[in-house]
Amino acid sequence: MRRSIAALVLATAALPLEAEEFTWAETTDPQTMDPHAVNSTPVLGFLNNVYEGLVRRGKDMGIEPALATSWEPIGEGEGWRFTLREGVSFHDGAAFDADDVIFSYERAASEAADTRSWFAPVAEVVKVDDHTVDFLTTAPNPIFPGSIANWMMMDSGWAEANGAARPDKENGNFATLNANGTGAFKLTTREPGLRTVLEPFAGWWDEAEHNLTRAELTPIQNPATALAALLSGDVDFINPVPIQDVARLQANPDVKVIQGIEARVIMLGFPHEAEALQYSADVEGENPFADARVRRAVAHAINVPAILQTIMRGNAEPANQLVSPAMDGFTEGLEGYAYDPDAARALLAEAGYPEGFGFGLKCPNDRYLNDEAVCQAITGMLAQVGLRATLDAMPVQNYWPELRADNFDMYLLGWSPGTFDAEHPIRFLAATPNDEKKLGSWNFGGYSNARVDALLPEIQSTIDAGARQAMLDEVARTLADEVAYVPLYVQPLVWGVRSNVELTQRPDNFFLLRWVTLD
Amino acid sequence: MLAFIIRRVGQSLLVLMIVGLVAFSMFRFVGDPIDNMLGQERTIEDVERLRGQLGLDQPFVVQYYRFLEGAVQGNFGVSYRQGRPVADIIFERAPATLELAAVSGILAVLFGIGLGVFTAIRRDGIAANVIMATSLIGVSLPTFLIGILLIYLFSVELGWLPSFGRGETVRLGGWWTTGFLTESGLRALILPSITLGLYQMTLIMRLVRSEMLEVLRQDYIRFARARGIRERVVNFRHALKNTMVPVVTVIGLQLGSIIAFAIITETVFQWPGVGLLFINAIQFVDIPVMAAYLMLISVMFVGINLLVDILYVFIDPRLRIDSSGGK
Repeated sequence: MRRSIAALVLATAALPLEAEEFTWAETTDPQTMDPHAVNSTPVLGFLNNVYEGLVRRGKDMGIEPALATSWEPIGEGEGWRFTLREGVSFHDGAAFDADDVIFSYERAASEAADTRSWFAPVAEVVKVDDHTVDFLTTAPNPIFPGSIANWMMMDSGWAEANGAARPDKENGNFATLNANGTGAFKLTTREPGLRTVLEPFAGWWDEAEHNLTRAELTPIQNPATALAALLSGDVDFINPVPIQDVARLQANPDVKVIQGIEARVIMLGFPHEAEALQYSADVEGENPFADARVRRAVAHAINVPAILQTIMRGNAEPANQLVSPAMDGFTEGLEGYAYDPDAARALLAEAGYPEGFGFGLKCPNDRYLNDEAVCQAITGMLAQVGLRATLDAMPVQNYWPELRADNFDMYLLGWSPGTFDAEHPIRFLAATPNDEKKLGSWNFGGYSNARVDALLPEIQSTIDAGARQAMLDEVARTLADEVAYVPLYVQPLVWGVRSNVELTQRPDNFFLLRWVTLD
Repeated sequence: MLAFIIRRVGQSLLVLMIVGLVAFSMFRFVGDPIDNMLGQERTIEDVERLRGQLGLDQPFVVQYYRFLEGAVQGNFGVSYRQGRPVADIIFERAPATLELAAVSGILAVLFGIGLGVFTAIRRDGIAANVIMATSLIGVSLPTFLIGILLIYLFSVELGWLPSFGRGETVRLGGWWTTGFLTESGLRALILPSITLGLYQMTLIMRLVRSEMLEVLRQDYIRFARARGIRERVVNFRHALKNTMVPVVTVIGLQLGSIIAFAIITETVFQWPGVGLLFINAIQFVDIPVMAAYLMLISVMFVGINLLVDILYVFIDPRLRIDSSGGK
């Protein structure tokens, strides 16, 4: 079996020159080939080439039919009915039908699955006939079809025959190293951390837009090595390109830089609930950040355009709310806090801190693009108005435990809504933390607003788009007025490709081979 | 004699145990793997459940005990990141590191001895001085910089050699993969093995040179020359042979460090060996992989030292008498 794979690889390598072979490098190797085991961008982005969901996102992030040809609400918001595409087969030849949908639901919603939270609104999934499935929801759920775009269909027969009926992240199983989807590419070789090879699936139901005959992913952790690999032509595409190398790449005719903005908004968070600051030399027993005027002063004190100009080399866009304009439910016409150090000083004086105060700023140093440099710049800007931050930057695996233990006076956070909808950050960042209801699990500062909490279930269950948007707008305005967070900017997305490659960049940072053409 | 060996083995085991204990006490500072393992939409409840499941809520001594319990049965646990047995992953990656280390070691020995002899014999020649001056680069430049420079020159600018990876490999037997049998595999070996072997080569070269200079001053060399023996025979048979004792000792000890320090070279060249595996494990806080790697490296070093100790006893009778006399 192993030998035959090696032979296949060798045979493929020896194909004639007109074969369009594509090689690309990413920083992170997808840690599993199981589409339900891990909910992370490297895994879901890669597996979107191999597996497919009932719906999928197009080049502009819009929802379009995939394994379902159509869907419609049932009754007055009782759920959604999906009509499945006929004549679809998995890579191993098995036919796709309603039983696979039921199986994939049970698998992806099981205890062991990382994707379980996607199905929190689902009460029951019912097979109506071989090509019709009903999803009954506990409450009306207008965004349900869009929220399952990354829920991928697995063949029940294949999974059960190979002992992979449930994902097993801790110990792994057959589906960790093998894949059998319906997608445009099938997995031919999987060597974790080394190479993963895909080949076009001849029996794909959709018309292929790409012209590839083989695609190989190699993880390259060191950015300098990845850049050298791109420049020397050893790889055709790298993600990401270090910001500081963008200008150099743009000057090179053999490669091009593809820039866009990611779905991720970078923001500052506050300890809303804390009784006192933890890392202050001059303020004892009180928490100035509990005062909205102090938080507003922070927002006025930070010159976001200057940060973007210097640290991001002009590659990012300022943000004034928790989601980027590319997301559904974005609030139009919201005014951000302009850079105005005088206003910041006045607000601090009004709040009773004319001389400012000292505090601790926590920041990751390997999670977001140039995160530590951004925090250093913020520290300098805050000092201008008397807010004397002591910066403590650390690797991300140390960072989250610190935040969970409430060890911060201010912190940096990035948020990318998995559903591409403005409701997502409200649920995770703005709702009052509540373990039982699974709300506010990333609301480290414990921000709490009864009106926001009351609006959230309404937003989740309102079908009427206008009424829903009005509520999203109200929440966005409330969060901005109270400065629950200080949104800074939308993180840039910088890809580097050889100049003979055409591809599509999506704000979710998914790289899809079905849109790649090689000259 | 046997008592000496048993005592040495006992001491080695103790050292291993202490290394493991120190390693486990450090893991908590590397960070928390839970957030890497669960996605964005995890709940606090999920975090606690997984922490309990992995035994991370236990004191490190308990974690260490559990690791040892598995390790003595040959079970090094399951990688947090890959969800596969650590032993499988290490076996998969070991050939890459061992082949790279072997080629680097051979290059370092061949060029180190050759250049060392050359610079000793022609100690005032221009070529020898140039070599000595350039060898300073080998000792003083950090490995990753040498690697990046080589990549930039030979891959990006000249386009002669691949910039990363191991090329095509061929499977031999059950688990060994080799890059020696394909053209791309051999080409991929050139830059990393130079990068990895450069420091050792310089070290050996300088050692051989100074030992040679020392030996060449000896009376028996002068007498040999006076007897009219050919210069090549004097240099290689009489002089070089007598410099070998310290050189061989150093080479033996350096063997371990070539494998251990392959970490940096492997990172720069994305060489899929155990060093790169270890670096990835640190980033993900993949404790089972980190623990197994550290234990493997310490077993190797302790093993080499044990072997050297025992060999000394065989080579040098005085040590043998001392050790048994001391009892």
